[in-house]
Amino acid sequence: MEAFTCFLSFILPILLSPTLTISTNYEGNALHALRSRLSDPNHVLQSWDATLVNSCTWFHVTCDSNNHVIRLDLGNSNISGSLGPELGQLKHLQYLELYHNNIGGKLPKELGKLKSLVSMDLYGNRFQGKIPKSFANLKSLRFLRLNDNKLSGSIPRELTTLSNLKVFDVSNNDLCGTIPVDGPFGSFSMESFENNRLNGPELKGLVPYDFGC
Amino acid sequence: MGSTQVCLLMLFFSVLGVILEVTLGNTSDDSHWLLRIKSELVDPLGVLGNWSPGDDICTWNGLTCSDDQTYIVGLNLSSSGLSGPLSPDLSRITSLQMIDLSANSLTGSIPPDFGQLQNLRQLLLYSNSLSGKIPEEIGLLKKLQVLRIGDNMLTGQVTPNIGNLIELRVLGLAYCQLNGSIPTEIGNLKHLQSLDLQKNSFGGLIPQEISGCMELQNFAASNNRLEGGIPASLGKLESLQILNLANNSLSGSIPIELGHLSELKYLNLLGNRFNGEIPSELNQLSHLEKLDLSRNNLSGTINLFNTELKNLEVLVLSENFLTGDIPKFICVRDSYLWQLLLAQNKFSGNFPLELLNCTSLQELDLSGNNLKGELPPSLDKLVNLTDLLLNNNSFIGTLPPEIGNLSALETLYLFDNMITGQMPTEIGKLQRLSILYLYDNQMSGSLPRELTNCSSLTEIDFFGNQFTGSIPPTIGKLKSLSFLQLRQNDLSGPIPPSLGYCRKLQRLVLGDNKLSGSLPPTFKFLSELLLISLYNNSLEGPLPESLFLLKNLRIINFSHNMFSGRIFPLLGSDSLSLLDLTNNSFSGSIPSRLSMSKNLTRIRLAHNLLNGDFPSEFGQLKQLNFLDLSFNSFTGELPPELSNCTNLSHLLLNSNQFFGMIPAWLGSFQELGELDLSTNNFNGTVPPELGKCSRLLKLSIHSNRLFGDIPQEMGNLTTLNVLNLQRNNLSGPIPPTLQQCKKLYELRLSYNFLTGPIPPELGSLTELQVILDLSENRLSGGIPQSLGNLVKLERLNLSFNELHGEVPHSLGKLTSLHMLNLSNNHLQGQLPLSFSGFPLSSFSGNDKLCGPPLASCAKSSGLQKKWMSNTAVAGIIVAIVFTATVVCSVLLYIMVRMWFNWRMVSISSSENNKLEHKREEEKWVYGDHEIRTGEYWDVNNMALVPAQQRESPTTTCIFHLKMSTESSKNSFA
Repeated sequence: MEAFTCFLSFILPILLSPTLTISTNYEGNALHALRSRLSDPNHVLQSWDATLVNSCTWFHVTCDSNNHVIRLDLGNSNISGSLGPELGQLKHLQYLELYHNNIGGKLPKELGKLKSLVSMDLYGNRFQGKIPKSFANLKSLRFLRLNDNKLSGSIPRELTTLSNLKVFDVSNNDLCGTIPVDGPFGSFSMESFENNRLNGPELKGLVPYDFGC
Repeated sequence: MGSTQVCLLMLFFSVLGVILEVTLGNTSDDSHWLLRIKSELVDPLGVLGNWSPGDDICTWNGLTCSDDQTYIVGLNLSSSGLSGPLSPDLSRITSLQMIDLSANSLTGSIPPDFGQLQNLRQLLLYSNSLSGKIPEEIGLLKKLQVLRIGDNMLTGQVTPNIGNLIELRVLGLAYCQLNGSIPTEIGNLKHLQSLDLQKNSFGGLIPQEISGCMELQNFAASNNRLEGGIPASLGKLESLQILNLANNSLSGSIPIELGHLSELKYLNLLGNRFNGEIPSELNQLSHLEKLDLSRNNLSGTINLFNTELKNLEVLVLSENFLTGDIPKFICVRDSYLWQLLLAQNKFSGNFPLELLNCTSLQELDLSGNNLKGELPPSLDKLVNLTDLLLNNNSFIGTLPPEIGNLSALETLYLFDNMITGQMPTEIGKLQRLSILYLYDNQMSGSLPRELTNCSSLTEIDFFGNQFTGSIPPTIGKLKSLSFLQLRQNDLSGPIPPSLGYCRKLQRLVLGDNKLSGSLPPTFKFLSELLLISLYNNSLEGPLPESLFLLKNLRIINFSHNMFSGRIFPLLGSDSLSLLDLTNNSFSGSIPSRLSMSKNLTRIRLAHNLLNGDFPSEFGQLKQLNFLDLSFNSFTGELPPELSNCTNLSHLLLNSNQFFGMIPAWLGSFQELGELDLSTNNFNGTVPPELGKCSRLLKLSIHSNRLFGDIPQEMGNLTTLNVLNLQRNNLSGPIPPTLQQCKKLYELRLSYNFLTGPIPPELGSLTELQVILDLSENRLSGGIPQSLGNLVKLERLNLSFNELHGEVPHSLGKLTSLHMLNLSNNHLQGQLPLSFSGFPLSSFSGNDKLCGPPLASCAKSSGLQKKWMSNTAVAGIIVAIVFTATVVCSVLLYIMVRMWFNWRMVSISSSENNKLEHKREEEKWVYGDHEIRTGEYWDVNNMALVPAQQRESPTTTCIFHLKMSTESSKNSFA
């Protein structure tokens, strides 16, 4: 990846027009890096032209009036591959909609840097590994839908600090341990947790949190 | 008998002698064959002009005869412009010892008959257009010493018979299309000195047997498909001076046996898959002058010492995974090393100070590593440096002034570091500096005027720093400048007029600064300019008319400035591909001249003061894929010619005064992803043909005067994300086919005259997220239960319709919902329990709803019964009134006064809400979280007690509740 970025920052200003923002247009960079990790048989990312000053005219990308990326809509797009740490650079992103694809690999912990994120919809993919603890930094997050993946490990207790969290769905994964009951977790229905290897709600003070995990 | 026998024997020998003479060559026969060969060749230069039957063959051009002039020994017609076939007849001249037909245009294959040339010692056929295979018969040429047949179109495998040529010294097969593996028989060639197999398609392994070529000095097999490792036996080739195996697929580690090649001067293994460490045994190669191991997977630290490799001139280790510090002794005093390229590894540590003793260095590339720390001021000890590439590291500190002493410097790359501070004025001493890339650092201060003394500068790129002040007014001194990029700094002041004297300028990028003033008229001299990008500055005023002289412009980006006047001066070029003037104050109409640039792909003129009709000439722009004319004052109808622009992916015409019908031919735009015709005066119906735009993602035609039904065909837009038809005069039912638009996340149909029920099918649009807005229509019937499936929906507005019945309890499952408006319908019954958090205003104007946040159903129904029987109500009121004291009636009076005051507030605030509604939603989408404190919608603000609740008194709550709903109904009506 380093080599690729270097290649771009070196070659593009020479070969193509310098209207391109490659190195400092961090959002365009991040999206371009995402594209390079994804396989896109339906060509939904065709309009992602790295030579443009910003990525706001790319399809499936929505910007605010300051040309910051606030939505990424790639649900049901038949894309596969994995996500990378670059996504964490989309500081203004509010909606990350990647549901119902074939994206695999781990959830990058850098997603926890998306301070403005309101909704993270990654359901219906092939994500595996643990739910990163860094998600507890997503203070604006209201909707976190990770259902129908292959996530394992326990539900990070840190997520109980997400005071705005309204929807949390991890059903149909391979999670284990107990279900937190603090904070917003007090109001989530049990359907959000079904079809895992979870041991039921945490009994505070009696059972260790990761019991049986 | 004996004598006759002797006689016979003598006769035999004499006959044999004659026969031998014939086979060795008979010049008269030879001339016959040679003339035949001549007749087949095309000889444009006339080199065969003196090949005529009458003349002595030994005087013919290109021929060499034996000392006694009896037979031909050599044929040299190299570089003679000959074409035609390589004739098999040449094999008749068996006396030939040397054939050189190189560098002609001969065609055909190498004739197998050449195997008869038993005396041949040299066969040079390189650089022709020969094709076919190398004939097996080549192996019969036992005396052959030099065989050079490369740079042809030869194909197939190399015959193993090549191993029979035991006298061979030179074998040149490079630059053909030979494949297969290198024959192992090559090892039989004991006297082979040079083996050149470069640029073929040889695969397989390098044969171990090559160690048999004990006299080999040059082995070049680069640019093939060789696999496997380098055989250790290669180390036995003690005479080897050149080993070039670059650009193959060789793998494994570099064998330590290479250290035995004591004569080696040139070792090139670039572009393979070698891994492991660089063997320290290479230090034994004391004659080595050039070593290139770049583009492999080598790891570990560098164990090469210039103290051992005393003759090293070039060392290239770029693009590996080498780690550690750059070693002290990689280049020492009195070295011959002039090129040291270590780019794109994982070297760490500071800039190696020891390197500064290596004054022989001319090119130093340490880019793309993890080097840190400051640049050493004593950098200027490298007096011979022409190229210094330190980009993509983590260098900090300032650019030392001593850089000005590197008087030979031509290229300086420091981009993508963390260099701070000012640019030293000493940089102006660099008279040979041609390329200066400092972008993506944190340099500050002003650009020193001295910079413009660097008279050789051709490319300057400083983007992404924090430079302030103005562009040096003397910039016009840089007569060779072709590329100037100062984008994304804090530069202010005007663009200096002298910039127009940089007549070689091709690309000028000054965007994202604080430049002000107008464009200098001197820009008319920039006749080579291809690209000018000035976006995001404060440039103003009309453009100089003389800009029209710039005939080569391809890309213009003046967006987000304050330019005014006409855009005509920008249209002198017929080669424009991109024109972006977004957000300026350009006025007037679009000149038809714009369509002279047939390669235009993007036209963005949004947010200006442009007017006039849509230019019908745009129909000639077949390449156009992005057209944004939004937020101007364009008028008229969309011309039918536009239908030719079938490559359009974005067509944004919103917020103008276009009128007429929405043309049906828009349906033929198969690339269209975004169509925005909103906020115009379009009338007529929504063309069903829009349903053919199969890639459409966003369709906004709201705020027009469209009438008629919403076409069923909208349901064919299966990729659609956003559909906004609100604020038109549309009527009829909502087509149930919309359920096929499964990717919709935003659906707005409000402010129309839609009738009929809400189709239950909408409940299958499970990706609806931003909003489902059906408000301000005439929808009737009940709220379909299926809407409870919209679990991602965040906002639902069904207000101001004629909906009946109960609110289905399935809506209680809408856990994502945080804005809900069901007000002003005819709903009744108990609200789902989970709705208790929504404000009262979400439900007002429905007489018969109950349950939290409204009054509880028991109480409410009791009230209703009492309402039915007026006498009972009157009785209770009378009872209350009569049992109340005088003080209580005074209190009541005060309460009524308070209510009048509140009603005025209520009316004004609800009107505001209606007006601000759209803007509020947009702001919300764009992340303005503060706006979400609006009382009208937000659930979370319940804790703050909305205005209506705050005012409701405790003692007379029954009265007030009734009256407040009435009043709000009035205010909305």
